[in-house]
Amino acid sequence: MSDRLRLEQAAKLLLGVWMAGIIVAMFLVVPQYVGLGDAGRIIILHVPTAWITTVAFAVSAVYSIRYLWKRRVADDAGAVASAEVGFLFCTLATVSGMWFANIVWGTPWNWDPRETTILILLLIYAAYFALRSALDDAERRRRLSAVYNLFAAVTMPFLLFVAPRMAESTLHPNCAFIQGSHCDGIWLELNGTRVGQLGDVVLALQGVEQRGDLVVAQVEVRMPGLREVALLEPSFELASGKPADRPEFPGQQFLLAVEGVDLANGRVLLNMEAPGTGLLSNSRTFWTFMAANIGFLGLFIWLYRLRADVLLLQERLAQREVAYGLPA
Amino acid sequence: MDPHLSSRSTVEVAATAAPSAAPLLAAAWAVFRKDVRSELRTRYALNAVLLFAVSTVVAMSLGMGPLTVSRNADLPLIQAALLWVAILFAAFTGLARAFVHEEEARTAAALRLSARPTAVFLGKLLFNLALLLLLVAVTTGLFVIMLRVQVGNPGLLAALLLAGSLGLVAATTLIAAIIARASVKGALFAVLSFPVLAPLLVVAIQGSANALAGRGWESGVGALQVLAGYTIALFTASLFLFNSVWEP
Repeated sequence: MSDRLRLEQAAKLLLGVWMAGIIVAMFLVVPQYVGLGDAGRIIILHVPTAWITTVAFAVSAVYSIRYLWKRRVADDAGAVASAEVGFLFCTLATVSGMWFANIVWGTPWNWDPRETTILILLLIYAAYFALRSALDDAERRRRLSAVYNLFAAVTMPFLLFVAPRMAESTLHPNCAFIQGSHCDGIWLELNGTRVGQLGDVVLALQGVEQRGDLVVAQVEVRMPGLREVALLEPSFELASGKPADRPEFPGQQFLLAVEGVDLANGRVLLNMEAPGTGLLSNSRTFWTFMAANIGFLGLFIWLYRLRADVLLLQERLAQREVAYGLPA
Repeated sequence: MDPHLSSRSTVEVAATAAPSAAPLLAAAWAVFRKDVRSELRTRYALNAVLLFAVSTVVAMSLGMGPLTVSRNADLPLIQAALLWVAILFAAFTGLARAFVHEEEARTAAALRLSARPTAVFLGKLLFNLALLLLLVAVTTGLFVIMLRVQVGNPGLLAALLLAGSLGLVAATTLIAAIIARASVKGALFAVLSFPVLAPLLVVAIQGSANALAGRGWESGVGALQVLAGYTIALFTASLFLFNSVWEP
């Protein structure tokens, strides 16, 4: 017993040092990313918390299955504790993401699939707690909330994998948000289609000219709601066949790039790039990120076990009160 | 199954024999007929749901009536979203009734004695499906007429409405059984159902927008597949979980 206690003390201490190290590394080890500046450091906090949110949800569902199977109070306490800590991490991930989006994309809420998914996850957690508070009988509360928890877990695959792909094709063409989605860009030509749309930004091609080895396109950019109109001049290097100068969209940190040129017909292939997609290719960032994942996982395990113990203790006190008729 | 067996004798069989004696589908059919009969006596859910749907559509048409496609390119998407919101909230008012009524009238215990849990679930599911299909038909008809909606591909829209209704019923019947045991029933039903229904809504609204805009069947096949998968997954999960909900 005392050996185990000592081990737990040591683990707690190690976790504290580990997390402190991550916070220091987040500012001192991780380099600035071109185009994102200091805002890119949020990856060390934001992505692990979002990941832990899904882990917490899965842990909670496993405890709910065990409760329905064995009907042990301890399993119900585990499910609730995991959901509560998951709710905390879910809120952290949402708020840190909104903060980042406000700085980088110019608006805190974009309705891209990831944001929608995490909002629904928050609502599921909230509904789970609302259900628990509305059921008076303790046994019934445990049983019915476990059922709802599992039922909601069944819909998660649809939310996580199906809805974003469906949405991308019709409502959210902003493929810049979703890695791995095809992002073909649009061809605009001087003698034909001059106006096109990338995401919710409207582009109009005004001119194409060759300056030595560079091809420069003049593109008029209108942001959603006609908030801002700007003339951008992205360029393309003929020798290497790669985009040269990528200007930023006004008010956002997306970049406009020329990815292909057809000078004979005055055609250019325009595309949108999100900064930060190559963030993890830096090895210092990568290892800090992995360490943060481990640290947050440890933090989650410690928190939810602590909370489960407290819940069990409350349960025992309530039982004692019933048995002896005494306030414990 | 022999139709003569299933029609008249099952009510008596379900009522008098031990729960496991009646075949599952016959018992489910008996529960469905009992619910339809008691609903036709009071017409509580029918009146509430249909009047709610009518008022919603009228309220929308007061504001949306003058809009035409020439004035707004996104009109199909707006109309599809409004149609599904009207259906969703009308469903929230009526679909919990099947189980809530059993608890309020204190007849749940009798039902537990007379039919197996799975039969009860299937019977209630069938009743909710019938109620919802009626609701969807009335709402959509009124919606198309009063908001002067141009339906480009009526077949696809009907298929999506049917698939969406199946998914909606598969998702909400178990939740209705859960909230029937809670203290604040009405509000809780919407609170618990909405997050579960979110994927269905996203897919159904976008598919319906394609149908209203007159795009071909290939634009809606993906949505129909997702809705079918969603319905099957939630129906199966409900069958597994209902026993735990229906315990006294």
